[in-house]
Amino acid sequence: MADNNYSQLIEVFSTEHGTVYQCNRNNNFVVEFAGNCSAFKTGNFLDFTRRVNAINLSEMAKNTSRHADIVILMLHYTERCFVLTMKDVIRLKELLCGAKAMIELNSIVNECLRQYAF
Amino acid sequence: MKDLLRLRTSLTEEIEALLNEQIKMEARSSSIYLSMSSWCDRNGFDNSAKYLEKQSGEERGHMLKLFRFVNDMGGKAISPEITDIPQEFDSFKGVFELALQQEINVTASFNRIADRCFKAKDFMTFQFLQWFLNEQIEEEYVARRILELFEVIGEEGTGRWQIDKNIPGVSYGE
Ligand SMILES: [Fe+2]
Ligand SMILES: [Fe+2]
Repeated sequence: MADNNYSQLIEVFSTEHGTVYQCNRNNNFVVEFAGNCSAFKTGNFLDFTRRVNAINLSEMAKNTSRHADIVILMLHYTERCFVLTMKDVIRLKELLCGAKAMIELNSIVNECLRQYAF
Repeated sequence: MKDLLRLRTSLTEEIEALLNEQIKMEARSSSIYLSMSSWCDRNGFDNSAKYLEKQSGEERGHMLKLFRFVNDMGGKAISPEITDIPQEFDSFKGVFELALQQEINVTASFNRIADRCFKAKDFMTFQFLQWFLNEQIEEEYVARRILELFEVIGEEGTGRWQIDKNIPGVSYGE
């Protein structure tokens, strides 16, 4: 997670299917997933992660009606409408949870370093 | 790497969620006191009705105090959704038994949050909670005192009328 001199965009976490970046210029997070990029302010990123985590996968699997095959997430803080299959949900959960863990870890590291700041 | 979590708010996700739950609990208390007030009014306990209405306002004040704190700290205060408020009560005494129980639950809830703040080393929120913990001493005291009126005066004859008359006078002097 070293700062890159050429860009304010820092990779936070990456999987085979996407990457989450932190933008130090705009103080937000950029989620690259399924070929698209969306930027989230911190609070909205946490909210987005919570919503994706709240998707009940076993319910999707059990429910045989056709509309249960996909989940549609329409969020007021992003233009993008997320239409997710079960596979997408699993991949997005993995990406967002991994990113959130790294963001929290960074926060802990910063907190520890703060005592040496003066 | 810049700490965007900390830049947003000093509240951890857990504490922010706990505070939002408490906002909901205070709003619920406020609604229940109001429905108690209506029940007392319908049953001829005018003084109790007024007292409970005032109590309802105080609970809303508590809710707003928490609400502003969460926003002031950079968090997201959530306007609570309150449903399933009981509108009927078993008896005059039952109303105040429930009131005491409710205050006990609120105290327990604040104790839990204070404990979490301590563990998370969030001493700013811990400090903020002191006001509420202090307030609960008074709230429980008054609720308990009112219930004692039922024992001291007794409900027979004009007892309930007497009890109703004495309720506004119950206060906590430190
Ligand atoms: Fe309260
Ligand atoms: Fe109260």
